[in-house]
Amino acid sequence: MVDVLILGAINSAVYAMLALGFTLIFGVGRVVNLAHGSFYAMGVYIAYTLVVVLGLPLIVGTTAAVLAVAGIGLAMDRVLIRPLRHSVLAVLIITVVFALFVEQVIFAFYGYTSRNIPSFTTNTLTVLGVTVAGQRAIAFAAGVIALSLVWLLVYRTRFGSAILAVSQDREAATYLGIDVDHVSRTVMVLSAALAAMAGVLVAPVLVVSPQMWVLPLIKSFAVVILGGLGSIPGSLLASVLLGYSETAVSRFVSSTLTELIPLVLILVTLLVRPSGLLGRRIEL
Amino acid sequence: MRRWGALAIVAALIAIGPSGAGAQAPLIKVGVPGPLQLAVGQGILYGLQLAAGEINAAGGILGRKLTVVPEDEAENPEIGIAAIRKLIESNKVDVLIGGQTSGVTLAQLPVISRGKIVYLGVGAASPLITDQVRKDYANFKYIFRVTPVNSTYLGFALADFVDEFAKTELKATKIAIVGENLVWVQGVLPAMERRLAEKQGVQVVYKELFDVRTTDFSPMFAKARAAGAQFVVPLMSHASSDVVVKAYASLKVPVPWGGIDVKQQEADACEKLGGASVGEVVLFGSPPLKVAVTPKSIPFLEKYTDRFKRAPVYTSFGAYDAMYIYKAAVEKAQTLDPEKVIPFLEKTDYVGASAHVVFDEAHDVRYGPGYAVETMVQWQDGCKRALIWPRSLATGKYVPLAWMR
Repeated sequence: MVDVLILGAINSAVYAMLALGFTLIFGVGRVVNLAHGSFYAMGVYIAYTLVVVLGLPLIVGTTAAVLAVAGIGLAMDRVLIRPLRHSVLAVLIITVVFALFVEQVIFAFYGYTSRNIPSFTTNTLTVLGVTVAGQRAIAFAAGVIALSLVWLLVYRTRFGSAILAVSQDREAATYLGIDVDHVSRTVMVLSAALAAMAGVLVAPVLVVSPQMWVLPLIKSFAVVILGGLGSIPGSLLASVLLGYSETAVSRFVSSTLTELIPLVLILVTLLVRPSGLLGRRIEL
Repeated sequence: MRRWGALAIVAALIAIGPSGAGAQAPLIKVGVPGPLQLAVGQGILYGLQLAAGEINAAGGILGRKLTVVPEDEAENPEIGIAAIRKLIESNKVDVLIGGQTSGVTLAQLPVISRGKIVYLGVGAASPLITDQVRKDYANFKYIFRVTPVNSTYLGFALADFVDEFAKTELKATKIAIVGENLVWVQGVLPAMERRLAEKQGVQVVYKELFDVRTTDFSPMFAKARAAGAQFVVPLMSHASSDVVVKAYASLKVPVPWGGIDVKQQEADACEKLGGASVGEVVLFGSPPLKVAVTPKSIPFLEKYTDRFKRAPVYTSFGAYDAMYIYKAAVEKAQTLDPEKVIPFLEKTDYVGASAHVVFDEAHDVRYGPGYAVETMVQWQDGCKRALIWPRSLATGKYVPLAWMR
């Protein structure tokens, strides 16, 4: 039981990193970004290229990868999303097309063969008698720090107030003198960086492949739907629920069923409580 | 200008005509369906290129030279079917040698059957593939398996290894079996358990078939340990193997392990994972070491390594042998007509680089003493490999991992 508590916490932190950006973008811009998983995959492939192909030190390569993806997020906002922001459907389509485009570019350059990037550490950690892989512990610690910083940014700074204002009412925020486009752009950059960070932190314990954007997208979706689209506390709560339920099912039932959980959560939430645990009903 | 160029080419071809290309016998096209971006797929191609080169240098088959036509099946049934169609309908190949993923091969069988073309499988292990020959000989007689031994036999081999090595040498009487939830594993598992039950003295205390997309194997290893497993038998053939191996190494699981792990058969697998494979014992039908499984094993290994600068994988051995087996059958039949070649293929009795190849009534390679054998090779410090089982072929001793010494 203790192992579920510890291993579940690690998974929860990774899911929270993934989902927080997804929910922020939706909250601020009403953008359902189906390319969110691509930020994760691009982070990993750029890190792979810099670290394994070009031989840069791991910390340099992964940091550069996160920054590069943040830049891609900025470009995506400017070139793809901003011109289409008036249409939710158009944005939905352009983001899924972008995701497929990224997958095909990765496929063209790297093929479908799986690849590996090295770990930050090969040490293990024992917490309450449970052995934890050092790399997962680092992912957890980095995730908690990143999430805390985002929390402080949103709830303790003037810019965070602007984010919340735009989330509540985009038009009213404009009348208040808030640069709505600047807020949207910054949130997109933050979201892309968080997803890429989640990618480079967990990639060393996974394999790198062109389709690796799909699962993170499904999990982000599950978290934000369960937590309530656009709700930051809801996403954090849902990340914990998803992380723990997956670990518990894997531990007490079968790991074969693990990947079913996010899909079940999406279905049940949409049927029983469409606004999610902490979300509010909105019109798109 | 372009028109004059075309006319010049036509004139040249007419001039060459009777004495040049036209006088040569048409090439025999060998279609190669396989996951060509993976080491097991490249292994098929390289094994065939080596065999075709040798055969061509010696005059070809019935005076006709061989050419190899690869087509990527990308571990995907739909792409696999398209690949077979292209090879048969567009490339008009004379024989197919390849395959690796059982699910893909099973999906391809109806197309191969309709194409009425000989298919020599060298990668996929599911017994369901050759069961088709047994059930519907008229339509599926074109299907043969050269390597690996089918997954039922793989299950027997693993049970023998557990009995003779894990139980006898490591004193492990409680084992865990963890494998991919895929077709071929569903063949290995019952066979292994049946054989273990016959042998007695080993108890399977934990069994888990996991989704290949699983990202966290910590709970799986925790469960294996909690169940009291003293030895873990993995059954893996896909990319998820890397995730499991990394989880095992990063958790420093204090339980030795050995089983089927196709990804870790690759020569550079251990280095790619930064040494995470060290300690794992991996099943090899044809070990990539200087081990004389047959008199042809070491010469093949040397030729292959010399030409391609890498060690062969099991599909390389199989493809190389399959080419020679096809050659022998065609030469006996004196034709490429599959209907006439198949009876001679069925009578194959060939000592190849992989094994002494004899087919059973389902066109499946026979397993056991005197036929195909299975060996267990351990990744050791420095990403070196040593064959540790069976003892008669051993090149080294089992070395426990540092955290278990």
